[in-house]
Amino acid sequence: MGRYIVRRSIQSFFLLWLATLISFTVYQLAPGGPIQFLDDDPRATSEDSNRLARLYGLDRPKLFPPAQYIAWLTGEDWLPKNETWRSGRCLSDESRCGRGILRLDFGRSFFYKGQPAIDPILERIPATLTLAVASLILGMVIGIPLGIVAALNRGRMPDHLIRVTTVLINTVPDWWLGLLLLIFLGGYLGLVPLSGMYDIGDGSLLDRLHHLILPALVAATGGWIGYSRILRFEMLEVLNQDYVRTARAKGLAERWVMIRHVLRNALMPFVTGFGGIFVLFLSGSVLFETVFSWPGMGRLFITAINSRDYPVMMAIFVIGSFFGIIGLLVVDILYSVVDPRVKYDVSR
Amino acid sequence: MKRTGRRSWLLLLLMITVLAVAAAQCGTAPAALENPAPSQEETQSAETESELPPEAIATEAPADENIAEAVADSGLAKEFEKGITVVTEEPDVSAPRTKKGGEYRDVSTSDAVSFHPYTTSDSASFAYQGLVWSGALLRLHEKTLEYVPHMAESYTISEDGLTFTFKLRQGLKWSDGQPLTAQDYKWTYDQVIKPENEFPYLDQLEFITSYEALDDHTLEIKIKEVYAPALGQMSGLITPLPKHIWEKLDWTDPEKNSEINSPSVVSGSYKLVEWERDQFAVFEANENYWYHGAPNITRYNIEIVPDQDVAYQKMKTGESDTAPITPEQLDEARQLENVNIYEWWPVGARWEYLGLNMRQGFPSHDINVRHGLSYAIDKELLTDEVMLGQAKRLCSIYAETSWAYNPDVECYEYSTDKAIEAFAKAGYTFKDGQMLDKDGQPLKLKLIYGPNTSKVRELIAVTVQDFLKEIGVEVEIQALEWASFLDAIKAQEPDWDIFIGGRGSTPEPHTGSVWWSEENIPDLNSVAYINKDVERLFVEAAATYDLEVRKQKYGEIQQILAQDAPYIFLYYQKAWSGQNKRIQGIEPTILGIGWNSEDWYIEEAQQ
Repeated sequence: MGRYIVRRSIQSFFLLWLATLISFTVYQLAPGGPIQFLDDDPRATSEDSNRLARLYGLDRPKLFPPAQYIAWLTGEDWLPKNETWRSGRCLSDESRCGRGILRLDFGRSFFYKGQPAIDPILERIPATLTLAVASLILGMVIGIPLGIVAALNRGRMPDHLIRVTTVLINTVPDWWLGLLLLIFLGGYLGLVPLSGMYDIGDGSLLDRLHHLILPALVAATGGWIGYSRILRFEMLEVLNQDYVRTARAKGLAERWVMIRHVLRNALMPFVTGFGGIFVLFLSGSVLFETVFSWPGMGRLFITAINSRDYPVMMAIFVIGSFFGIIGLLVVDILYSVVDPRVKYDVSR
Repeated sequence: MKRTGRRSWLLLLLMITVLAVAAAQCGTAPAALENPAPSQEETQSAETESELPPEAIATEAPADENIAEAVADSGLAKEFEKGITVVTEEPDVSAPRTKKGGEYRDVSTSDAVSFHPYTTSDSASFAYQGLVWSGALLRLHEKTLEYVPHMAESYTISEDGLTFTFKLRQGLKWSDGQPLTAQDYKWTYDQVIKPENEFPYLDQLEFITSYEALDDHTLEIKIKEVYAPALGQMSGLITPLPKHIWEKLDWTDPEKNSEINSPSVVSGSYKLVEWERDQFAVFEANENYWYHGAPNITRYNIEIVPDQDVAYQKMKTGESDTAPITPEQLDEARQLENVNIYEWWPVGARWEYLGLNMRQGFPSHDINVRHGLSYAIDKELLTDEVMLGQAKRLCSIYAETSWAYNPDVECYEYSTDKAIEAFAKAGYTFKDGQMLDKDGQPLKLKLIYGPNTSKVRELIAVTVQDFLKEIGVEVEIQALEWASFLDAIKAQEPDWDIFIGGRGSTPEPHTGSVWWSEENIPDLNSVAYINKDVERLFVEAAATYDLEVRKQKYGEIQQILAQDAPYIFLYYQKAWSGQNKRIQGIEPTILGIGWNSEDWYIEEAQQ
């Protein structure tokens, strides 16, 4: 087990480095840049744009800029004092040099003028976390009973009904469903708020739940459909196992057979699903947050992309990758704990 | 083994619980956001509609057909006089407003970046800043359109026209009660001009040679040479920041200067109470506001919404007092029972055009091709189809709402015959429904537009494609995301023939000069238009205070540009605003509705 963890950690570290390289290169190569938006503004001349580009260090080559990558990774403060290695800000004032992501400095946002790139991300995490956890819980609360009912009524009306409904809902894109429900329930019936996390001047628990219910329900759609279908499949599989027959033969009450033998084993694959939650927490759900005007990471990511805010874009990507990779590692390890059949470090 | 399994489930359960609790705890208290009423400096002309409230109908806002006349007769078209002193007609601004109370609920589709007026360049930030900062020495009078003293009580122009002296009003105050003086203006100016301080429009201050505070109430600004737009440009050039608060803080770094995102001392009509990014901002009336004290409406909330449709729904349901209205929604909005629609033709009109690539090697390098394309598009029909009657034809760079407007320019009335004739002059042959070049190859053009989400531009692109098909020109359309679009039009070696662009104008015609200078290729002058006569005429028009001379020069410029056809000018737009009927005191004028927003009020029963 120890060796496995070390090996997987090294792999994870390599993956993370690869993620930084990819994000840096891809984002730098995207057309346009943060200064671009001044080009259409008659108040700013070419001279103004060039001056700002020099200050921000955006006047350097875009295609595979190793010096900029090294500066972003390790900081500008120790690099040679010239324009190849340092941005104009760092050259004019040492205290404004970036310290590099290895020292947890993701640079300064271009869009949120001068603010550390990590700040807007930290501000948005609670909102994304709230939506992610709420949708996960709702997904399980709805999906697991449906899966059980479908499995126990295999081939009968409840099973058909659940399967047809899930297939139908699954064919509709979640964000579109969200938009429809928003217009109908919010716009026409006025049952749910049209946007935001809470009302201005309110913010009570009830108000927050009122705002959360529709986004969470819609974000949970994929979850409960998936859970119900997986659970139905797994339960049907487990129901045919010898140990279930044995348990019944022993005269164990059906309820206990279901809970202790069937359900417990059928739920095993769900553990892997939790790995994804780490990614969800930080990358946010771009579409849901946009549709529901939910102030989380997803919307921040869209804003950063649209404004070519490289530091924020890259910070979200790197942090998301970090938690995603760590999440998968943790799940792998957890899986071995939960499922005794999974063994690592088998000596050969 | 069983025990291990149970423990693992417990662990998972615990994780979920912890995360759920953390999420519930993490939600922070609310704050507020942007989208203030239009600023006082807003420059628009107004047309009233029958649905307007009585006080609106009673205003003197001219109907749209009289706009050109009204502008020509107004102070905008007034010559500057050297060696004069102009004193305010409203010396006493201390009488408080009397209809106080209530809350104005605004919505916006984008949040502000910060409250720093010298590092931001986005309209959402300008809107927020307009509520908390005030600094205009002069303002455009809502009826005469003359520059009149505002925070200054008087201004003097020297005999040579190069020195401008502003006397500030007595009793100007910051929200903390400290006096707002000429030293605040001077200190702010000194910070702004430092190149490392990242002011995006530094070049705009180039014409100033000295900016001095002679005493606490006197500002003296000197300029290099006679420059016609000087007075207007100076009036709102520097919005002072409170020196007594800011001088101890960093200018650009929000980590070292909390005032940037949360200003504690302000000069505007409102103070920031709370700002929750991407959610909302809440402002409250500033009792120390210099102009008759606090505004009537006590609170001002701005809520961020995902898009215009949601904003419009909120106005419909009464959740907000205003919302942006698209041209398609306008007819319906006029019928809403709870909303008044105000409409006007802005003096600073927004106009749309097709930019033609004039670089060597592109078909539209040839002036005859440009003329051919101009004739081939029915601009009247396009305007009607795209803007549903909310826009008017444009033939050159100034709309008829500008005092510099010249009606005597070539307008390229729709004619496929003339289009084919012009193409023939360029060596093309129209045969079997195709426009063939000298080598017998059919002419294909690439049209780009952005942002790709713009329905209006999509409609323009498709309409242009249809019209050009009629003269055998095939058009390939490419829709781009906004940054990519800007990147494409300013590329050193562009691959497009036509792009759809839009321009915002101001009452001062000189601001349009930057689009036509060779040194701004490819940034602002993306079509690569080079005509030294036009550049010279712009310089000459700005270098005199003689209005007749200026008018004549701008007239010539319009003729040359219409003749050279670097753009196909399409239309200029009407402006409109929807406001909940509970908001009273709105007086539409030639400047729009925002000029007196501090006097708007809500009847007590509706507060």
